[in-house]
Amino acid sequence: MIELIQRRRGLIAGIIAIILFGMWASTQYEPRVLASILLSGLTLGALYFLVTSGLSLIFGLMDVLNFAHGTLFMIGAYIGFTLYANPRLLLNTLPFGLALVAGWILARWLPANSLPSGHRRPLWVAAVLVGLFAIWNFELAPLATTALSSGGRVPTEQAQAPTPIFIARALGLAVAGVIAGAAFLAGREHTRRPERRDLIVPIILLALALLIAPLRLTLEEWLLSLDSNTRFLLALLIGAGGGAALGGLMEWSLIRPLYSRPIYQVLVTLGLVFVGTELVKGVWGPGGYFMELPAWFSQRGPNCPSPNLIAWLQDNCASIDVLGRPFPSYRIFIIALGILMFVGIAVLLRYTRLGMIIRAGVQDGEMVQALGINVRRVFTLVFALGAGLAALGGVAAAPFLGISPGLGQEFQLQAFIAVVIGGMGSFTGAAIGSLLVGLARAFGDQIVLTGIQLPWMSEAMTFSPSIARASTVLIMALVLLLRPAGLFGKKE
Amino acid sequence: MNEVLLEVDTIHTFIGQFHILEGVSLKVRAGSITALLGRNGAGKTTTLRSIMGLNPPRSGSIRLGGEAINGRPAYEIAYLGVGYVPEHRAIFRDLTVEENLRLAERKRGDLARRSDFIMSLFPDLKRFYRHPGGKLSGGQQQMLAIARALVPDNRLLLIDEPSEGLAPIIVEQIVAALRQMATETTILLVEQNFALAAQLADEYYILDDGRSVQHGRMADLTRDHATIDKYLGAG
Ligand SMILES: Nc1ncnc2c1ncn2[C@@H]1O[C@H](COP(=O)(O)OP(=O)(O)O)[C@@H](O)[C@H]1O
Ligand SMILES: [Mg+2]
Repeated sequence: MIELIQRRRGLIAGIIAIILFGMWASTQYEPRVLASILLSGLTLGALYFLVTSGLSLIFGLMDVLNFAHGTLFMIGAYIGFTLYANPRLLLNTLPFGLALVAGWILARWLPANSLPSGHRRPLWVAAVLVGLFAIWNFELAPLATTALSSGGRVPTEQAQAPTPIFIARALGLAVAGVIAGAAFLAGREHTRRPERRDLIVPIILLALALLIAPLRLTLEEWLLSLDSNTRFLLALLIGAGGGAALGGLMEWSLIRPLYSRPIYQVLVTLGLVFVGTELVKGVWGPGGYFMELPAWFSQRGPNCPSPNLIAWLQDNCASIDVLGRPFPSYRIFIIALGILMFVGIAVLLRYTRLGMIIRAGVQDGEMVQALGINVRRVFTLVFALGAGLAALGGVAAAPFLGISPGLGQEFQLQAFIAVVIGGMGSFTGAAIGSLLVGLARAFGDQIVLTGIQLPWMSEAMTFSPSIARASTVLIMALVLLLRPAGLFGKKE
Repeated sequence: MNEVLLEVDTIHTFIGQFHILEGVSLKVRAGSITALLGRNGAGKTTTLRSIMGLNPPRSGSIRLGGEAINGRPAYEIAYLGVGYVPEHRAIFRDLTVEENLRLAERKRGDLARRSDFIMSLFPDLKRFYRHPGGKLSGGQQQMLAIARALVPDNRLLLIDEPSEGLAPIIVEQIVAALRQMATETTILLVEQNFALAAQLADEYYILDDGRSVQHGRMADLTRDHATIDKYLGAG
């Protein structure tokens, strides 16, 4: 018994601390106030979790501390918002990306690997030159800003290049892709000969690019004519997908060459924070945007706030009654999204082959490799998955927190704190850490608002707003004192 | 004499800036057990890792069935039919016995096909099928590590010190299993316990200080006390 208490003293201390805090909080606040603090905390916790889950998976599997994870969150918010409010920007750039990738893949059918590796550098230069020539004078900014400031409803044809020129640019980028692909393959001996059916992917990509090009206006009108709920779901999907693609690309191009040099990896991800932020400012402008809530979460009327969740399914009120206090229904959605993703990832890790490979790779990536599994490919996949989750969080946060280039930083910091509390590399730890940090922030905000009234004091103690942020650091320090590896971290 | 399955020709391998293997050559004949002997630190583990592609050699060549495999990534070498049972087992502690074995599948159905054979060699694994690997005893972990290499159809098994730190009764079980396995595949075996290696192997290679220094038939080595004293310590 005593031995058990000693072995589990951290857990016991934690439970006692939570009970004591709960008792204190329940004397301090009325139940309805407490309930909305808890729900706010859960909302933040769910958003943090979308960032920390990827951060933690990536660290656990490949020992990479991705400082750019918050930036991916922010970019996800921008991509999702753009699809929601101004698909023109996406439709006018997506074909370029598709054509470039298609060209890159098609290069495998050239006898490029018989070229001497000395040809690599001139080929790269040629690829960059052709690419630059293809997008020469292409105006991105009007596509983003003019349409957004007009609410995305005025089709500004003049913001958009004429179709023949647009297609010519796309084909130019495809050529640049082929040259770059050849540069990549030059001098590489062990490349698998492509088969005929491998042609399907680049052909589909190229066809898609050429199909979207003449249909840009029609597609834009069609997307904007969809109801806000459908557009919102699409925004979540495309935002997460775009983030995943960026994450995969980032791992493959910048992180992968540096697995043997972790310090450089950290520097690269740090650098990407600045590059990403500046790019976003360049495309979307330095100011922020506000994303309207979709219809599901924005109805007002005589029945509102909805008395409960079932009623909300009917009337889609902007808020739901919680013990007599209205609580925004969108935040309930965020909580649900967080729980859904938690369950989804847990199932993936527990029951799929990919999950098995990840769990094994966390312990010993080399042995996984020796069993015949291409661990590098799994790394890219997990990086993309983590980035996609963060981007999904960004889209979900957009209607709630607003969108600005600085959105990522604050989340990055709190997410790191949450991951450290939970234990680096532990998935459960990421979830619990996010929850703790979210709740601490919510209680902190409440304390800033009303102060703390202790029985022996005549007036409430007041605090400055930074207490909410400082409280999470305090929790981290406490946890690290009791358990140096974090709550669920492996003891080293 | 059987054909040569694996041919390692004067490989030089570096770990960081350290020149660990300074010219190791060996040949493994199909269907035999070949022992790789030498003192602690002679370079036996590094040789196996070089073959597996985990520490690719900087020069020299490695051929499997006539095909050059040096410079290929480890997972491709595994795919060509090389199974690796590393020193200190390296089983996945958080995965169950079943998951450890499933992970080793290269095609769907590998495990189902081989399960009976594996369980007949190591009945313990059946008993602990759904237990995490970390909960097994040292001997059972070794069995699991070997079993993992038996799941796909491997042409060559690289086995590093399977008897290390195990009780004699377990070692007996493992020796019996290796004998069984040798009837269907080829084994390159690193073993510190000379008596055990002598029992199992047909041929031997001795490494010393990162070089191959001597090789021949195992039966001849057991009588050659001078060589044993010189290279294997008081074996
Ligand atoms: N990671 C490493 N860094 C530096 N030297 C190493 C490393 N691993 C092994 N060595 C050295 O390489 C030599 C060969 O090691 P190893 O192949 O493990 O020998 P064996 O398996 O025969 O005992 C030893 O001298 C060892 O000290
Ligand atoms: Mg060794």
